[in-house]
Order: sequence, then structure tokens, then C-alpha cells
Amino acid sequence: MRALCCLDGTNVEQVSKATEMLSTSQPLTVAILYVTDTGPRHDIEHLRERFLRPPGHPPPREEEIRQAEKASAQDILNEGLRYFPAAEALQRQGRPEREIVNTAAEWQADLVIICPRAEYGGRHAIGPKSVGHVARFVADHAPCPVLLVRPLARERFPIPR
Amino acid sequence: MIAIGGAAVLLLLGLISPADAFLTLVRDWNTFLFFLGMMALSALAEAAGLFDWLAVQAARLAGRSAARLFLNVFLLGSLISMILSNDATALILTPIVYVLVTKLRLPVLPYLFACTFIADTASFLLPVSNPINVIIISRFPLDLWTFVRLLFLPSLVVISINIGLFFLLYRNQIKGGFDIERLPSAEQAIKHQAYFRYTCCVLAVVAFAYVMASAVQLPLSLVALSGAVLLLIGAICWKQISLRQTAKRISWSIFGFIAGMFIVVRAIEDTGLTTRFGNWLIHLSGGTNFGAVMVGTVGAALGTNLINNVPMAVVMISALGGIQHAAPSLQHAFVAATIFGCDLGPNLTTVGSLATVLWLLILRQRDVDVSGLDYFKVGVVVTPLMLLAGALTIWLLL
Repeated sequence: MRALCCLDGTNVEQVSKATEMLSTSQPLTVAILYVTDTGPRHDIEHLRERFLRPPGHPPPREEEIRQAEKASAQDILNEGLRYFPAAEALQRQGRPEREIVNTAAEWQADLVIICPRAEYGGRHAIGPKSVGHVARFVADHAPCPVLLVRPLARERFPIPR
Repeated sequence: MIAIGGAAVLLLLGLISPADAFLTLVRDWNTFLFFLGMMALSALAEAAGLFDWLAVQAARLAGRSAARLFLNVFLLGSLISMILSNDATALILTPIVYVLVTKLRLPVLPYLFACTFIADTASFLLPVSNPINVIIISRFPLDLWTFVRLLFLPSLVVISINIGLFFLLYRNQIKGGFDIERLPSAEQAIKHQAYFRYTCCVLAVVAFAYVMASAVQLPLSLVALSGAVLLLIGAICWKQISLRQTAKRISWSIFGFIAGMFIVVRAIEDTGLTTRFGNWLIHLSGGTNFGAVMVGTVGAALGTNLINNVPMAVVMISALGGIQHAAPSLQHAFVAATIFGCDLGPNLTTVGSLATVLWLLILRQRDVDVSGLDYFKVGVVVTPLMLLAGALTIWLLL
């Protein structure tokens, strides 16, 4: 089975646990994917427009932004490779949700493994809106089954009936 | 191009004489030179690595806490806006913070929005904090004490609201920490030690000179330009940036836009439209300070989102010509509210104008990337509250 693991910089442990569980039942070919979101850069561009400035930063700043994005993506993928030494590392740029489903199709994934949203030190939430827009879009549009990896939350049960 | 084109058409049709257009531009020399000095100061300070250094220091002072870094970005943005204007925060600090949080592997959007919003929220702490303030007080002089008395406290109120609401909105994304090892050293940010120190000294003098010039009502453009010349001399001496490179970092097209706007509004003045608009605003205010503050704030804020804040400020100073015969407190109410509305109003849509928002909405319908709408969603929640609280504070201070 070909499993595409979507990394977001905060979820590598969770994703690796899920693949471990899956690999006990059948052999897995794994790819790890990280998408650099280009949305924030577009936001900065809109800002320049509002301040009546021509598009684009001065070249040194533009290069610094590109380098930072590249280094961060590489760092996240390298971290992923420590958990999945045999995996293929894929790096993309664009809108994460769209890049994930397109990469799943191109790579001919049998399964996409994704977490509901990036967790930056906060408590893993369950309940309404706990699935972010990226995971929701992937679940809606992926060309193959999607495994949504959630943390255990048994201690928060029972919920009101 | 549209503004210059409009002005050219008016001149060709004889709706404004060349002499009148020329006089209009000469009368507003302080605005043009202030824009030039402000952009040059920011570009030269950026060349020294000052903004990068400040951002790294803000991260170091945060310890490893993402929440403290969030707060520090607000405080740093306020400081830069106060002294070097909101342009420096929005256009120079924002990409630096983006690079910093990308390296630290923190969520980008909250920090990006913090920079963008605080640029405008902290832009009426002092007259130099926003070029809009200079445009307005060039026509309606406010002494420093009156400016600070009417706008400093409201500024602190809206900054607090901005920080508080953002902490609430992004509470889940800023809970964690960051690895301090990922942080670049402060020394790396400094391009040349001597030029960096010189830049800090010159900016400290410029900040003091701004306050003194505002106090004695000297043109602020002279301070900005003098500071820029001093920095340029230092930069050339230490071979950090050439005159040509500095010139490249200045947005020259902005002068054409402002000049075009001044001429177009001057021509509209002759038709009596702006006077009618001004009279309508005064009528709506009911001649009371409360009415003046509310009408001025709402009118200016809505206008900035319809046509961008620079043209709106030019329209407002023309429209408010009629208040010069009103009682001083009513004049102050209108002027302070206009500054407040024009400065803070853009946070409502952030992308600048209603036309841009409509364009983004059309793009979204066509399934094209519309990240600008994220700003809009935050702006419509946060900005009305800040406008209301700030306007009430101005009214209480009148």
C-alpha cells in the first residue's frame, strides 16, 4: 500500500504512530509531504498594494524569504525522515489542501494520512470545528481513502447525551 | 496612473488652470517632502539591519514563549510606527517577522496579522506616525499638546483592544514555545557595526527632533529629510548603500498619485461638491462634539475603505474647510476624528479599498486563491470595536 503522510511541522509523531499500526497488517511504501503555504506571501503582497507600493520586495529581502521557506520545509522533511528513513520526501509550494490532493493523485497514493490541524502547543481539541480547512478539503477531494489521525481523547468522555 | 490621468484630463478640459494646479502642489510641499524623507529614513535604517536586529531582540526577550513573542511583535510594531510611521511597520517589519516565525516554525498568520494591524492601530501616537496625519495637520494645524491630548490616550486604548482581541482570537495558536536554537544571532542582522550604531544615534536624534518640531509647529518634512540625508552620508561613507540603491527603494510613483489626487480634489472643490459634503457632515453631527467625533470617525473610516486612506484624507481636508468658522472644540473634534478614522479605518478591510474586496470576492467565486479575505474576516470583527472605543475616548477628552 502506498501511503502519503502529510506533515505540518507539528504532527510527525502522530503520523508515525499511525503508520506503525498500519504496517503491522500490510507492507507500506511511504512518502512524506510538506507544502509551503504561499497564502501568507500573497497577504504581504496585498499589503504593499494598499500602501500604494509596486509589487515585490527589494531583491535581498525576497531572497531571504525564499531561503527561510526552503530551509523550514527541508527541516520539517529531515525530521520526518528520522521517523521514516525509507520514505520518499516530497516538497511542494502553493495552497496546502490543493497540493496534497494533487500530489496524492500524481504519486498514486492508496491512502492519505493527515492530522485535523497543526497543533502549536495547544490542547488537542475535539468537537465542532476541530478539523481544519486543509484536512476537511483533503477528505472532500482526495482521490483515495483518507486516514484522519486524531489523538486519544477518552478522558473527555462521556459527552452530554 | 489613474490619479495622474484624472488630473491631466481636468487640465486639458480647462476645469483647473495649470497655475492653480501648480499652486495646489506647492502649497502641499510639506506632505511630498515628508513622504520622501520617511521612505528614505526607513530604507536606510533597513540597510543598516536595524529592523532585523530589533525583531531578533524581540524574539530573544520572549524567552521561548510564542505568546510573549506575539506581544513583543505588537510592542515593536507600535514603537516603529510611532517613530518611523506605519509604512515602516507594514512594509519592512512584516516580511522580517514572516521570515523569523518561519524559521522558528511558528504559525505564520497570527504574527503577520499582528504586524499589519498594529501598523495602523499605533499610527496616531504622534503626528509623524502616519503620513495621513501630516496631510491633515498641514491644513488644520494642531499643536503637539492638542494632538497628544486628543489622540495619545485613544491610541493606547485601541492598541490594548487590538492586542487583547488578537490574543483571544489566536489563543490556541500561540500557546506553545519555540526552539531558541533556530533563532539567528542578533550580530548576524547587523550589516556593519559602525553604520548600525550611527543609524541608532541618528534615529534617536530624529525622534527627539520630531517631537520638538511638532511642539513648535515646524514642518516635519524638514526633520525627516535632514535625518535621511545624515543617514545617507553615513551609508555612503561606510559603503553600505549608494544613492542610486537608496533611490531604487523609494516608491516614486506615490508622488504622482498624491499630486494627481490633490489636483483632482482641488478641481472638485471649485464645483462646490466637497463643501456640500462638508456641510452635510456638519449637519449630521448636529453641531455637537459627540456628533462631530462620531460622524468624522465613521465617515473617514468608511471612506478609507472605499477609496484608500490617502485620497480620503485629501477629500476630508477639503470638505472640512467649512469648520474653520465653528467653535474650537468642534473643529478639534472633527480634525481628531478624521485623523483617527483615516488612520485606523483601513484595518476594516486591510486590503485597502472596497474595490479590492469586491475583486477578491469575485476571484473566490471563480475558485482562485484569495488569501486577502482572511484579513477581511479579522478586520470586520476587530476594527468596529476599536473605532467605537477610540471615538468615545476622543469625545471624553475634548
